[in-house]
Amino acid sequence: MTLHPILNTIMNNKADSIVLKNITKYFPGTIANDHIDLTLVSGEVLALFGENGAGKTTLMSILYGLYQPDEGEIFIKGERVKIRSPHDAMEYGIGMIHQHFTLVPVHTVVENIILGTEKAYLKHLDIKKKVKKIKEIGKRYGLEVDPYTIIQQLPVGIQQRVEILKALYRNAQILIMDEPTSVLTPQETEKLFNFIHDFKAKGHSVIFISHKLNEVMEIADRIVVLRDGKIVSNVLRQEASEGQLTHMMIGRDLVIPKTNSSIHPKSEMLKIKNLTIMGDKQNKAIDDLSFTVREGEIFGVTGVSGNGQEELAQALCGLRKVKNGQIALSDKDITNKDVLSIIHQGIGYIPADRHKEGLVLDMSIEENLFLKNHSNPMFLHYGFLNQNKIQENARNLMRDFEIKAASSKSRVMTLSGGNQQKVAVAREVNIGTKLLVAVQPTRGLDLGAVDYVHKTLLKEKKEGKAILLISTELSEIMTLSDRIGVMYRGRLLKIIQRKDAKVDEIGLLMAGITEGKRNGKN
Amino acid sequence: MEKINNLINKTDSRIKQSLISQDDDVWLNFLPVFSVLLGLLMSGLMMLFLGYNPLIVYSNMLNYAFRDIYNIADIFAKATPLILTGLAFGFAFRASLFNIGAQGQFYMGAVMAVACALKLGSFPSYLTLMICFIMSLTGGSLWAAFIGYVKARFNANEFLVSMMLTYVAIAIMNFLLGGLLKEAKGEYPQTDVIPRSGWLPSLIPHTRLHWGFVVALLIALLAYIILWRTSLGYKIRMVGYNRDAARYAGINVEKIFVIVFFISGAFAGIAGFTEVNGMQHMLIEGFNPMIGAEGIGIAILGNAHPLGIVLSALLFGALKVGGNLVVQTSRIPASIIGITEGFVILSVILSYFIRDKLIVLRNKKKLIVQEEHRL
Repeated sequence: MTLHPILNTIMNNKADSIVLKNITKYFPGTIANDHIDLTLVSGEVLALFGENGAGKTTLMSILYGLYQPDEGEIFIKGERVKIRSPHDAMEYGIGMIHQHFTLVPVHTVVENIILGTEKAYLKHLDIKKKVKKIKEIGKRYGLEVDPYTIIQQLPVGIQQRVEILKALYRNAQILIMDEPTSVLTPQETEKLFNFIHDFKAKGHSVIFISHKLNEVMEIADRIVVLRDGKIVSNVLRQEASEGQLTHMMIGRDLVIPKTNSSIHPKSEMLKIKNLTIMGDKQNKAIDDLSFTVREGEIFGVTGVSGNGQEELAQALCGLRKVKNGQIALSDKDITNKDVLSIIHQGIGYIPADRHKEGLVLDMSIEENLFLKNHSNPMFLHYGFLNQNKIQENARNLMRDFEIKAASSKSRVMTLSGGNQQKVAVAREVNIGTKLLVAVQPTRGLDLGAVDYVHKTLLKEKKEGKAILLISTELSEIMTLSDRIGVMYRGRLLKIIQRKDAKVDEIGLLMAGITEGKRNGKN
Repeated sequence: MEKINNLINKTDSRIKQSLISQDDDVWLNFLPVFSVLLGLLMSGLMMLFLGYNPLIVYSNMLNYAFRDIYNIADIFAKATPLILTGLAFGFAFRASLFNIGAQGQFYMGAVMAVACALKLGSFPSYLTLMICFIMSLTGGSLWAAFIGYVKARFNANEFLVSMMLTYVAIAIMNFLLGGLLKEAKGEYPQTDVIPRSGWLPSLIPHTRLHWGFVVALLIALLAYIILWRTSLGYKIRMVGYNRDAARYAGINVEKIFVIVFFISGAFAGIAGFTEVNGMQHMLIEGFNPMIGAEGIGIAILGNAHPLGIVLSALLFGALKVGGNLVVQTSRIPASIIGITEGFVILSVILSYFIRDKLIVLRNKKKLIVQEEHRL
């Protein structure tokens, strides 16, 4: 990728504050960062834009010393440096605001801010002096917080402010913000943006990681698009267009596979009516949601993560209580049924985090393929496991789904990421005789495995199963779905037939901008 | 794209190869044996510091432990309760739960066994033994089920609850020994000797080895069958390895907590039965005070596997029998047995740590090979 000519001129005029050269990071089975060159100039807001898993956070974790790059060099102010830990990074004036805060909830603001900065062990701790300094910084940047409040009593927006103060207290001149707005209300977001402008005006720089198009367009001076661990675009904001960026992010013109586009008016398999689900913070995670999924159809739900997708999925598999409304599977009410009876109803569930929720890594392949049959009388004989049946089941699934392993007794931990996901997919496809719920089914997989999962979903659809695909990856949603629902704050803003769907429109809907709103704005 | 696909295929085949070459690491399975030897070596050094020749001490220990049929039988008799308390810890450990209160459950089982044996003196022997067995099992299991219940209901830390409940159990036992169960003479805090009908028959005549050892072996077999052959055991292991995945698979994790502690406590309770009805034939305040803690060490030494636990318990039994006689016949302090046990357990724990490190190191090497392949 050649640099944009304008960028060269900028770089010549201003001092480079950070240069990343040839940064490469491997994770088992994938390349998270593939020879990345990136320059950060003082006094700019640089947005790292890309889908989940594009390598944004990994790259920044390397800069912040959380990971060590496998290859490549980092230069700060022209000098080659090794950043071994966040402590090193802070020494160089780099601060990072994580997506999930790193505060001690039961401590006060001041205790959290000074944590780790005091070198002396027995010296008297002059809290008043620290408080004064914190108040000073707060005033300078418009980030006032009462230093004596306990963190858990503060709203999320203010907690983030404490995180920023923590970095500023350590003299951060470069702030890395990882999806900082994902937890904020629009008003809080506006305040955050005001701060970023202020901070920039003082000659400091910000690296803003996001996959929200509208925010990137609003705040960034320069936008770097990452895809599959590579930089695919590096443009100035003025030169960027929303459509082009979305294209860059997804990476190809979406080839929509030929399907028998006339969907037969088959029966409705999953019916969701006026569903309301409470989130962990007693907010309405799902708010009066209604939709249906028909037999032989893939219904794609897309949206920025944290808009209720997770809660919806949990309610569907019985792990989260529904407050209001109804979930029905082929006219049978399954609202608030327990997990096991939902499994027995024929719902397969491919979870987002296969290591945590989908597999038992320490168990063998055959035990994992049997995971959800533990109460299925077919596999049991007076409470004893029928080993023959379990092995036969494993053999069949391993053959049908091309799971590559030394034997069915191999521990799942020893498999490659793609084969691990095949184990989970095989089991769920086998169990989900009526409905398959797939949540981010290709997260973190290499391209070959992604392709395999997609083909499997399409095959199951052809066989007449109803499939609910929940994904934040627009490309996946666009290639697979028959209908697409865009989720925003617990509601589906719009349900679109795929043939009428445009990436730009969905991108805007994901940011909560509906057609009417947008016209009103302009 | 094609390039990446090629790489994936290559890495896949590499992983396949490494799976096969895992057989090279069979020696890792013998790590506990090495570490037991290392533990003996470390305590040997300790003896050197104390001015004794460890070679002589160990050879004496061996000689005494295997001197005659009586001593050999005693090894098995000593191992009997250790197998059971080891199983108690090991079974819960398979569900990633820590039952460190086997001592308390053992005492509750012992109290139940002695009470039944004393009151049912007129019953035929097999009936008394059967009732003692069932009651001691019930005492231990209910006592432990409470730990599982508060864990399930209030998310109480089972580590602390099981530990603290041991002190409650000791207090209850002492209270009963001072009153209801106190001997007829009323002199010491101990019970009368239980009637002959309540004694477990001896396995080898003229030794202290009793049928309790067979009971312990059967319980170990039962533990194995539950864990690896039944649906319940499968659920227990799943909860142990990955609680989230277990929930997604429709397992009532909280119910498993209670069941696991119930079974685990039953094992410790049965140890009370074998000790009272097989060995002591009475209950004395503060008897066998280390049996729970030794059970933890034995379970760790045996990798929480029933067979491993039986073997480790036998090793500890031998150390006890040989050690006791060495101490009695020379001037070596008695604490040397405890120190040896401690070193053995310590080196076993260290060996697991080292094994994990070795595995990580091997995987890293594998990764580097993959990377080189890519370039």
